Amino acid sequence: MNANLLEMIHRDCHEVTAASLPTLAPLKGECLLITGGTGFMGTWLAELIAFLNDTYNFNSKILLLSDRAYSFSAKAPHLAVRKDISLIDRDICSIVGIPSEVSLIIHAAATPDSRLHASEPLRVAQVITNGTASLLASASRLPRLKRFLNISSGLIYGPQPLDLERIEESFCGGPNCSSPSSTYAEAKRYAELLCSIYRNEYKMEIITARPFAFIGPYQLLDRPWAINNFIRDGLTGGPIRILGDRETLRSYMYPSDMAFWLLAMLLHGVPGFSYNLGNPNGVTLGQIAEKVANCCPVRPEISANLAENAKIHRSSLVPDVSLAQKTLGLKLLVDTDEAVRRTMLWNRAQVSNC
Amino acid sequence: MTRVVISDPTLRDGSHAIRHQLTTAQISSYCAAAEESGMPIVEVGHGNGIGASSLQLGESLLSDREMLQTARGKLLNSKLGIHIIPGFATIKRDLSMAIDCGVDVIRVGCHATEADITCRHISYARQRGREVYGVLMMSHMAAPDKLLEESRKMESYGAEAVILMDSAGAFLPNDVKQRISLLNEGLGISVGFHAHNNLGLAIANSIAAVESGASIIDGTARGFGAGAGNAQLEVLVAVFEKLNYSTGIDLYKVMDAAEYAEKEILEVIPFVKSTSIVSGLAGVFSGFAIHVNRVASQYGVDPRDIFFELGRRKVVAGQEDLIIEVATELAGEKDKG
Repeated sequence: MNANLLEMIHRDCHEVTAASLPTLAPLKGECLLITGGTGFMGTWLAELIAFLNDTYNFNSKILLLSDRAYSFSAKAPHLAVRKDISLIDRDICSIVGIPSEVSLIIHAAATPDSRLHASEPLRVAQVITNGTASLLASASRLPRLKRFLNISSGLIYGPQPLDLERIEESFCGGPNCSSPSSTYAEAKRYAELLCSIYRNEYKMEIITARPFAFIGPYQLLDRPWAINNFIRDGLTGGPIRILGDRETLRSYMYPSDMAFWLLAMLLHGVPGFSYNLGNPNGVTLGQIAEKVANCCPVRPEISANLAENAKIHRSSLVPDVSLAQKTLGLKLLVDTDEAVRRTMLWNRAQVSNC
Repeated sequence: MTRVVISDPTLRDGSHAIRHQLTTAQISSYCAAAEESGMPIVEVGHGNGIGASSLQLGESLLSDREMLQTARGKLLNSKLGIHIIPGFATIKRDLSMAIDCGVDVIRVGCHATEADITCRHISYARQRGREVYGVLMMSHMAAPDKLLEESRKMESYGAEAVILMDSAGAFLPNDVKQRISLLNEGLGISVGFHAHNNLGLAIANSIAAVESGASIIDGTARGFGAGAGNAQLEVLVAVFEKLNYSTGIDLYKVMDAAEYAEKEILEVIPFVKSTSIVSGLAGVFSGFAIHVNRVASQYGVDPRDIFFELGRRKVVAGQEDLIIEVATELAGEKDKG
């Protein structure tokens, strides 16, 4: 990875910790296991903790568990060679023992790629349900475990009513449990339930984060989400094509904010609580396309692909994050415009790196 | 006025009817005429799509590259489209090449219940910035709910529209209405329809589709296509105009394109033959007609019996080799009788 890319990550980590370092102080000297450790979340958590170790001598140790650990040296070679990061190449479903030094766990194993949810629902469900069950059983035997953060999903709420501006954690919706397309969300609901059972029976300090949508470095542009496609289209000269209704509402959090919030939830969240994780400021697909187009050196054309005869399918997915903001003192440092700008810069720098 | 996008697969579906023997002159002249008419999308290639030229399915006279480059040279405002079926078409050999040739619209087809196989092709085409539609072929073989489930998969892979293909011309207008309405309700992307005329209902079914919310409709010049042919393009344009839908196509010029196709490409103007009717009733892919007729005469059996037996066995495109098996069995039974 070239110095330019590393510098961008370094700046992001510096920005997010500069004013709030004490929040992360309990991480010092701890050993953190991250499942799904080489994915988007795991990589950003590793970046942030590595930064804390290098800059503030946190002396924390990170274990990244993944069934694709072998690919990490290509994705983030600077992290893969670090002495404070160890890779565990294992399928979460077959995990039996966890190194006894582990004192904190972030359970992020599962793919949010909707293509996989559609094609391999059984595998997706098994990784989430069996994987969470295996991990909790192993974690319950750890002698030094202090806290466990379960990464759930904002999709567990089911469709957000259009007249509801933001979804609060107390919203009682739910996906259609008889549809295979609800596999990911339903499995995540069950994983939350398992966590509650372990918290209740084994007195484990388990907190849940419900992530929404993110955009930033390390996010693959081939993922089937609107903003990723817009950025990819924009970087290749366009046109940027909006699929579906341009008034559909989404919100995007930048990953350095995401990583900081996740660690804060792990360290300070109230066991048994679930916290929404995301940007509470919704933007329409049309606005996002405009933001991406404005960041392109030559502004590409924006086209809407929904034919006039098609039925309008407007949807919203925007979290209310006031629980995390008020009780954990968390702030959003990177707004949507800046997130898009930085993501475009990162991807351009990555292309020039190839 | 609601706009309907017409996609013209004359040079793809029609290829079945002339055993995939399109010449560069035919492609070049037809594309020029279609472009002149304001045709939104012109599909080109082997009848079973790019990469399908083979001994089993029939070999094309021209290579895929030759066909696409010829068409691309004439299509300036009209989009160049292709049909691909994963399995026949690979990403590296075929799809990548087609995109390099300048294809604008990629229609990734599969059997109505097998959308899973389209994921990589749809994703790749999206990554290359092309417009991608998912196509559910032989859609009469799946229940409406199943079609919605498979369409949702395609939507999740990045398809920008889902086209229901009535490959056997087996639908009645109410069947179309029910399925298109369900997809239009359940998907966040556009829905399209591709008719075959086995039961003489291609135009009626296309109208039913549009009135139920479809916004992409396929039609071919003179109905040139597999079996009994498709919805006749110039009729579609005229009828949609009468129904107050806008196609953006010049009626006289599309008629001129059809005249050209009739004179220079078609060997026989498609009509609803007995075998077409039984193909529609049996729910067997229209493209089987040529092979069924040939094999029937070779084995001395009634082609209609072959169609009904193939329908009973629920055969799909790619299983052409079963025609001989069925004919052999029927001939054997005849001898015994």
